[in-house]
Amino acid sequence: MTWLAWRQFRTQAIVGAACLAVLFGALLFTWWQVRGLAVSTGYTGCTGNDCQKAADSFLDEIEQSLAGRVQLAGVGASFGLPALVGVFWGAPTVARELETGTYRIAWSQTVSRRRWLLVKLSVGGLAAALVAGALSLALTSWAQPIDDAHATLAHANLITPLVFPTRGVVPIGYATLAFAIGVTAGLMLRQTLAAMAVTLALVVATQIGAVELRPLIADPVHRVTALTAERANMVARMNDVVTRVEGWPSETDSWELSNAIVTTPGGPEYRGPTDQEKCTPDCREWLGAQGLLQEERYVPARRFWLVQLRELGVLLTLTAALSLISLWWIRRRPA
Amino acid sequence: MTNVLRSENLTKRYGRRTALSGCTLDVPVGQVVGLVGPNGAGKSTLLQLACGLLEPTAGMIEVLGERPVSGSARVGFVAQDAPVYAGLTVAEHLRLGARLNPSWDSAIAERRIAQAGLDPSQKAGKLSGGQRANLALTVAAAKRPELLLLDEPVAALDPLARRLFLQALMELVAEQEMTVIMSSHLVSDLQRICDHLIVLVGSQVRLAGDVDDLLASHHRLIGPRRESVDVASYGWTLIEDRHTAAQSTLVVRSTAPIDDPSWQADQLDLEDILLAYLSGSAPAAAPERVLEAQR
Repeated sequence: MTWLAWRQFRTQAIVGAACLAVLFGALLFTWWQVRGLAVSTGYTGCTGNDCQKAADSFLDEIEQSLAGRVQLAGVGASFGLPALVGVFWGAPTVARELETGTYRIAWSQTVSRRRWLLVKLSVGGLAAALVAGALSLALTSWAQPIDDAHATLAHANLITPLVFPTRGVVPIGYATLAFAIGVTAGLMLRQTLAAMAVTLALVVATQIGAVELRPLIADPVHRVTALTAERANMVARMNDVVTRVEGWPSETDSWELSNAIVTTPGGPEYRGPTDQEKCTPDCREWLGAQGLLQEERYVPARRFWLVQLRELGVLLTLTAALSLISLWWIRRRPA
Repeated sequence: MTNVLRSENLTKRYGRRTALSGCTLDVPVGQVVGLVGPNGAGKSTLLQLACGLLEPTAGMIEVLGERPVSGSARVGFVAQDAPVYAGLTVAEHLRLGARLNPSWDSAIAERRIAQAGLDPSQKAGKLSGGQRANLALTVAAAKRPELLLLDEPVAALDPLARRLFLQALMELVAEQEMTVIMSSHLVSDLQRICDHLIVLVGSQVRLAGDVDDLLASHHRLIGPRRESVDVASYGWTLIEDRHTAAQSTLVVRSTAPIDDPSWQADQLDLEDILLAYLSGSAPAAAPERVLEAQR
């Protein structure tokens, strides 16, 4: 059965591998550019306070170089991968057999329907995990100097929603889940095109939903501090009336979930009124003396691996659950 | 075990549509069984129930003494239109069979492919209808099942390919101890090769029996016109009657020979018998729908 599953999957696997090879080629091509820029901007080998400046100019240079575009492409590919895996690998796996009637030849061999499906799920799921893992690994090692520079500047980077799903181990979870979604949709809808459309919608919904749900497993830091003049960052005014006050984040390299100035913890955001006289030209001193509180919720960068592993666990659990549902479905609801 | 297939009150419904209802059958082992009926009579449904691709809505079916499950080594099945994997070559289909069936007989498979003149390196999607049917039959037969189910295997074939396919099937039956149940909407396909016949009309079994018995027990009687015939008093079962101004023509079933001199008794062939059943007692089914012209 493994042979047949692989044989049927071969063309899709080759196409996928070819796409991956193009991306790897681009990463390899710009590998030395990234490292070269790190040296030429003085970031590599910097010491002490020079590092921040060097890191800044290194990142600027990267942004304007080919490497910057490759990085964008890499991130784009990482975000697109689950959808591609689900739509082009997962959805047709069973749907095409049901649609063209070839399931009748497969199920007439000495192999149970469940084993047939299990092997198909395993072969495709494994391939999806491999591709996603390889892409994440390649992107991470390619971007090592860039990530370092962000860390030097305490930028919010790996933990933010735009980078987090492309790095570490979660891409494996997203790819396998997308594959399982595709297979299950194909099994239930029995039409390749419909299954592809539904899979695309579900995978994108999963990715969006993950951003909303990630704080639940990240157990974010909840922090309430007194707003001092130093911490007051920005005062937005309209017609000389203060409409919004912001405070500096406590940890700049974190994923900020909320950051508000309040009068009581959990209370509504503070919007004035302010003393016009004392607030011109600068309000900070005055604000610092009002006994206001800064209430923050954020996921610090140091939680990266913890959140990665938890999220991978959730995604793999969902994958397993969907696989079990489809294995149950195929036995209960035959053709 | 004397029955290869036994069913009692077997019923299959798809939503509101009844595909098969109250089907009670006993199919003896070691024969070539023809399953005839018009399109939509429930032939495919019955065969797919028999190989476990479908689950009955009600009633009982037993194949080789077991409840049928797909993936059994003992039952081979060639579905309607002989599905094959278009992207796989002929040789890869044999490899598929060998990998997926512990009981695979590669000698039979290779010999049949050679006999059918199939090029092992050809993609199955490029085969003609007859070649595809032959490939599907080879994969099903080389598994060496005890029961081979064929769903309209020759429907899509031209007359020559049809003959070649049936010949190949007969050779297989001769060399392997195997019961074959094959369906067709054309009795002419089946009458040359079947020992046993099941007629399905409008999702119900209309007639089932050994071909020899059917032939021996059905008679066409022609005599002067009479308004009504008390067939029961003769021990006959009336299947069909037609009356013209001058004469009456009956088709009756009788196990005893017909010795009433007022009737001229003729033998019927299988097709005649079938037509009599379909037109005589099936007012709902239009006869012309029942037996389509041979393509």
